[in-house]
Amino acid sequence: MNTLMWRLNRSQARTSAAALAALAVLLLITGIAMAGTYHGFLGTCGSAHTCADGHSLLFRSDGVLNAVVYATMAVPLLFGLFWGAPLLAREFEAGTHSLAWTQGVTRRRWLAGTAGWALVAAALWGAALSALVSWWRLPENAVGIPYPRFDTGTFDIQGLVPVAYSVFAVALGIAAGALFRRLLPAMATTLAVFVGLRFAIAEYLRPHYMTPLTKMLPLAAMAPGAPSAVPAGSWVIGPLSAIGPNGQNHGNAIQFSFMPAACRSLGPGQWVPCLAAHGFHSQVIYQPATRFWAFQGIEAGIFVVLAAALITLTWRLVLTRDA
Amino acid sequence: MRTQEAPAVDTAGLGKRYGSLWALQDCSITVPAGRVTALIGPNGAGKTTLLKILAGLSRPSAGEVTVLGRRPGQDAGFLDSIGYLAQDIPLYRRLTADDHIRIFARLNRHWDAAAAEDRLAALNIPVSRPVGSLSGGQRAQVGLSLALAKQPRLLLLDEPVAALDPLARREFLAALAEAAAEGGPAVILSSHLLHDLERVCDYLILLSASRTQLCDSIDNVIATHRVLIGPRQKPPAGVTVVKATNAARQSRLLARLDGPVLDPSWDVHEVGLEDIVLGYMGEAAGAGNGNLTAIGEAS
Repeated sequence: MNTLMWRLNRSQARTSAAALAALAVLLLITGIAMAGTYHGFLGTCGSAHTCADGHSLLFRSDGVLNAVVYATMAVPLLFGLFWGAPLLAREFEAGTHSLAWTQGVTRRRWLAGTAGWALVAAALWGAALSALVSWWRLPENAVGIPYPRFDTGTFDIQGLVPVAYSVFAVALGIAAGALFRRLLPAMATTLAVFVGLRFAIAEYLRPHYMTPLTKMLPLAAMAPGAPSAVPAGSWVIGPLSAIGPNGQNHGNAIQFSFMPAACRSLGPGQWVPCLAAHGFHSQVIYQPATRFWAFQGIEAGIFVVLAAALITLTWRLVLTRDA
Repeated sequence: MRTQEAPAVDTAGLGKRYGSLWALQDCSITVPAGRVTALIGPNGAGKTTLLKILAGLSRPSAGEVTVLGRRPGQDAGFLDSIGYLAQDIPLYRRLTADDHIRIFARLNRHWDAAAAEDRLAALNIPVSRPVGSLSGGQRAQVGLSLALAKQPRLLLLDEPVAALDPLARREFLAALAEAAAEGGPAVILSSHLLHDLERVCDYLILLSASRTQLCDSIDNVIATHRVLIGPRQKPPAGVTVVKATNAARQSRLLARLDGPVLDPSWDVHEVGLEDIVLGYMGEAAGAGNGNLTAIGEAS
């Protein structure tokens, strides 16, 4: 089984290894340079009180390399499209499943060997990619500005989740191949389901894995030039907003009509102290930086469970349907 | 000796339904071990369905089936005992014949790599080129060699020669006949034309309109069928009419004899296998599909 899998997929494995190696070289060179810049900067910024400017100092703030790193978000999808979907669909399209299924190994063993290797490869490649990106982003994660590692986007390319996304994408491709038995429908389904599910979970489910914290602040925190009110490295879910005495959320600007009459008559310079005196304050809703790994674990768990469900479906389809 | 062995194939009331359509119905056949069997029937008669069930690739919807005394399915012992070559000879196109032989060696317990290599070498088939670049005839030989390398006790071949030119067809059948000679596996190979297989087969299964029309040794089939020509009246006692062609005053009957025809008003003529087969196929098809009847009568 192992030899068969290797001979059928070795060219793909080599291409993927080459792409990963090229990315590794690029990130290692730039990452080592960046680490040097960062450590030099850390030595001086403490006394000069300029550590918050660290991001602009790290040369990758020029867009291209950053774009390459963010593009690794699509890699699990590529695994699903080009490893997962063809794995069974290609066998069914070429009819070679009936050749494989009449050798001296049961379908059970054939599927375990075939799907098992693809899933292991996805996990290994996903882990290598994630380790590389996580390492490369260490200085920027430490600076935490403008994008802490908890933010949507940066969260998705480091830590555990790229591994889980990769395993899920490949499981999805395999299941779609077992269901449709044709390559194009399998790829189209993999693309649609993966993108849709990733978006829906990141956008609607992830903010609620744990109840977010609310931090109350004086209204002055919203004044232009005030120091950042957001705890460092946290993921802001409800941005800094003005809250009226009745609890009404006014967003980042209080309309004139909502201002107490006593404040309206004052000049703009007096508004903030006046509103504060009338019970206005500001608040920010966020997930604290300390929850980063808990969120990574929960999201990775969700995708691993989905992958397991898809593999179970594949198992049933392959073992019970006729050739 | 051979009658002691479990029959290669034994089915009773076997059927396979896809949705509301029966691809194979009420198929009861027994094929003794050691025979080379032609499975004949027009396109859509259920040949592929039957072979897939026998190979354990497809589950029957009705009836019973045993192959070499086992129920076809997903156990290694059964899979070891059969060789199967699907229609269109599916192979891994980018792998070479040598790759196939080496890799499949790890998937089978009784693999005879040397025999497969010798066979392909004797046929001058390039074993180190991707099989996708080989001719249809060469691919068929590779497929056959792989199926035989398993050392199966039953070899199932689905329309193996349908896509081959006449020379490749002859070479394939010669290779098959050699493999099936004394001590070789029982073979069932399907075709929509008997003509292809008559020389290598000694047993016949005739499927038509999803049903079994005949299942017997070819010698028996020839011995028990006759053409009767006589007055246009009801057929003589002791015969089963397969197909009747009526002219103005006389009838021509293709009939299976259950005993001698004693009625002197009927002339009894011997009849070739091909005419018998076409008679059955034309009659069964005539029940549902007119154009196949026309083929039967054209010969």
